[in-house]
Amino acid sequence: MVQFLAQTFVNGINVGALYGLAAVGLSLIFGVMRILNVAHGEFLMVGGYIGFWLFKLYGVDPFVGLPLVGIFLFLIGIVFYKVVFSRVAKFHEEVKLKNSLLIAFGLYLIFPQIAMVLWTADERAISPAYSGQAFDLLGVRFGYVPLAGVCIAIIVILAMYLFLTKTYFGKSLRGTAESWKAAKLSGIHIEWTFMITFGLGISLAGIAGVLIALTQELTPFMGMPWTLKALIVVVLAGMGSIVGAFVAGLILGIVEAVSAIFMGPYTIAIGLLIFLIILVLRPQGLFGRA
Amino acid sequence: MMLEMDSLSKSFGGLMAINHLDLDVYKGEILGFIGPNGSGKTTLFNLISGLLKPDSGKIKLNGIDITPLSSHKICQMGIARTFQLTKPFAQMTSLENVMVGKAFGCTPTWSMREAKEEAEKILRFIGLGEKSMWRASALGVVDRKKLETARALATKPKLLLLDEMMAGLTPTEVEEAMVLVKKIRDSGITLIVVEHVMEAILGISDRVVAINAGEKIAEGAPQDVVRERKVIEAYLGEEA
Amino acid sequence: MPKNWKSFFIFGGIIALLAMLPLFTNRSDVLTWSCLTLQYILLSQSWNIIGGYAGQVNLGHAAFFGLGALTTRYLWLAGLPFPASLLSGAFIATVFALLIGIPAFRLRGIYFVIGTLVLAEILKVVIDTRFPVASVLPVETLLTYSLLPRYYLSLMGAVLSVIAVYFISRSRLGLGMMAIREDEDAARTSGVNILQNKLIAFAISTFLAGLAGGIFAFYMVAIQPGYVFSPIWTFDSVVIVFVGGIGTLIGPIIGSVFFVLLKQWLSLHLPGGLHLAVFGVLFILVVLYMPDGFIEAIRRYGKMVTLGRKPMVQGG
Repeated sequence: MVQFLAQTFVNGINVGALYGLAAVGLSLIFGVMRILNVAHGEFLMVGGYIGFWLFKLYGVDPFVGLPLVGIFLFLIGIVFYKVVFSRVAKFHEEVKLKNSLLIAFGLYLIFPQIAMVLWTADERAISPAYSGQAFDLLGVRFGYVPLAGVCIAIIVILAMYLFLTKTYFGKSLRGTAESWKAAKLSGIHIEWTFMITFGLGISLAGIAGVLIALTQELTPFMGMPWTLKALIVVVLAGMGSIVGAFVAGLILGIVEAVSAIFMGPYTIAIGLLIFLIILVLRPQGLFGRA
Repeated sequence: MMLEMDSLSKSFGGLMAINHLDLDVYKGEILGFIGPNGSGKTTLFNLISGLLKPDSGKIKLNGIDITPLSSHKICQMGIARTFQLTKPFAQMTSLENVMVGKAFGCTPTWSMREAKEEAEKILRFIGLGEKSMWRASALGVVDRKKLETARALATKPKLLLLDEMMAGLTPTEVEEAMVLVKKIRDSGITLIVVEHVMEAILGISDRVVAINAGEKIAEGAPQDVVRERKVIEAYLGEEA
Repeated sequence: MPKNWKSFFIFGGIIALLAMLPLFTNRSDVLTWSCLTLQYILLSQSWNIIGGYAGQVNLGHAAFFGLGALTTRYLWLAGLPFPASLLSGAFIATVFALLIGIPAFRLRGIYFVIGTLVLAEILKVVIDTRFPVASVLPVETLLTYSLLPRYYLSLMGAVLSVIAVYFISRSRLGLGMMAIREDEDAARTSGVNILQNKLIAFAISTFLAGLAGGIFAFYMVAIQPGYVFSPIWTFDSVVIVFVGGIGTLIGPIIGSVFFVLLKQWLSLHLPGGLHLAVFGVLFILVVLYMPDGFIEAIRRYGKMVTLGRKPMVQGG
């Protein structure tokens, strides 16, 4: 029984780390730019498929492919910022939120259909030779791949955190998050800051996508469910909090794994319902300030 | 006594915006309300109109406690206001803007014909008759301020709060606005006027109250209040 | 006034023509497209009320369409007369809206958008799990299945929605809704009861959405319960309303006609669901460059459209 619970807990962490990683990019973009990108999951899906392509077509190991996907998605993010989101980035906050949300919503209509053409509706996964391997510790099974996923998620988020708090550019990002007008007055190049932020956020989504593809199936329609997961995590953590998002991701993963035992197929609904209740009672998030 | 504020307090994150303020407004007067930037004038308007709730203290309108009421109730009881940064219903016409005040205010009506006639009358009174079919977003700054006043008047208030109605106007326009304010008072509406333009406030007010850092520092006839040391210091402090 | 009479006659004439359409043609494809267009007019107008006039971007609209569809379908197949089933479906959708409305409208701006999106997703998951099997019409109903009653029902629904929006946009209720959309604080201090006004708008909007669902349930031979709760219904409505012209009477009508025609045309030339991608691109372009939709372009071009977001009391 203890072993069973421990195993559930470990499974929860394996998934939760990915939730956290998926949410961090969304949170970063929202925190700095006040753009709610409900197409975040779509970029995550693209990242997963690119990892899949690299592996299937060129035999690139997914962990080697990870930085490549990260860079590629960074570029994609910059393109999308330049072509669409930059046109609303300077609007008054409420208008910007609404319009960026609608644009992202349009992207949500586009991506799965293109993915259907490129990769068909078949479920795909990245499955290198070592993907099923695991070791036992005190009767609890640790898969190498999920474990690596958790480690990479932690490293990426830690790097992100250090980048934001310790480097000059990171500090300018945080300044922009406080008020972009004030940041502009103090000499920060807003256009660049927004562009790089968007690129970074999308890049994080792509990395999460590859890690997800290692343990779950890829489908063209996985975007929205992952956007919702990321949204839940971000709202739980309070919009714009990076480390909070990761912690909230772990919590969501564990809660889901545990409740799956009791609730079966209704697990997702329960998670969403708890989220709604928190949203109504504490819109600033569990860890956010009032 | 029209409006009574009894030991009203409001703080934002430890900063006292309004600090145990007692203030009475008499029926039929124009009360000028002055103070340097950030002294709590707009916060007070937000408290009276119910957009903010005080931490402590009471506000009474004609003896009835309105502190716990929501904004639309307060409006329907006879308090209307304008906003310093105007808040027009941008995509609606001037006429529709003013109709909202008539249809939902102190003398609400379901008849759109009645609301429209009243709104047209008020727009003509305020000098926007020609532009009643313009979208509010197409109006200039001065016209927007007029529109705010018209919308507030359409609610048929007993008490009207005007927040910096004359900021940014030319001297001629200020003259016109002063005449307008007096005309509104003569129609039987009590007014509280926040204004930075000192000549205007001296010219129209029956009584002036000065506040600084959320506390009342002077009260009395306009000429006397502006000569008070504390008031001069408060304003000098702002400029220094 | 003459101007209003003219619009009135045009509107009446169009309805009369549509009512006579089955006399001119018995091509089932034409009738099918017309059915779909009319149903989309009803659904998009219902979203237009809450999203366009009251300014509350409700991304959970599919939930109300689905509730209407599922309730109507099961009551009808259980033997209740169809009109009663249809009204029950719309009624259930409205009751659900009022139940969730009070907590939902505590959320402002972006949180309302997320909240409604998640709410619809919850319902979809529950329905998918609870009703995994498709509902197919029984043989005796199938034998007498005819497109004509479906067509007239869709026409009635569409006309009802247009009339509803017409009266809302010219009433005190609509005035309050638009004021809320433009600025909540200014509306509040002008005496508008925000919560009450939003709830009424939401109730009307979801009643019509439930009706649209019920008509769809009557129209379809086989229905997968999860499908009527799919976010695609929300997205279709939002795209139609934005492309046509948000917050106008005519916009959703233009949008629906355009949507169905383009969808049919695209599905002939593009594989699978790629038409959705095209609509996505179109939608983004409209949001960026034509925020008032096609209706504004038409109005500017011809200056001849007499309905829509013109000043609501012109001519009395």
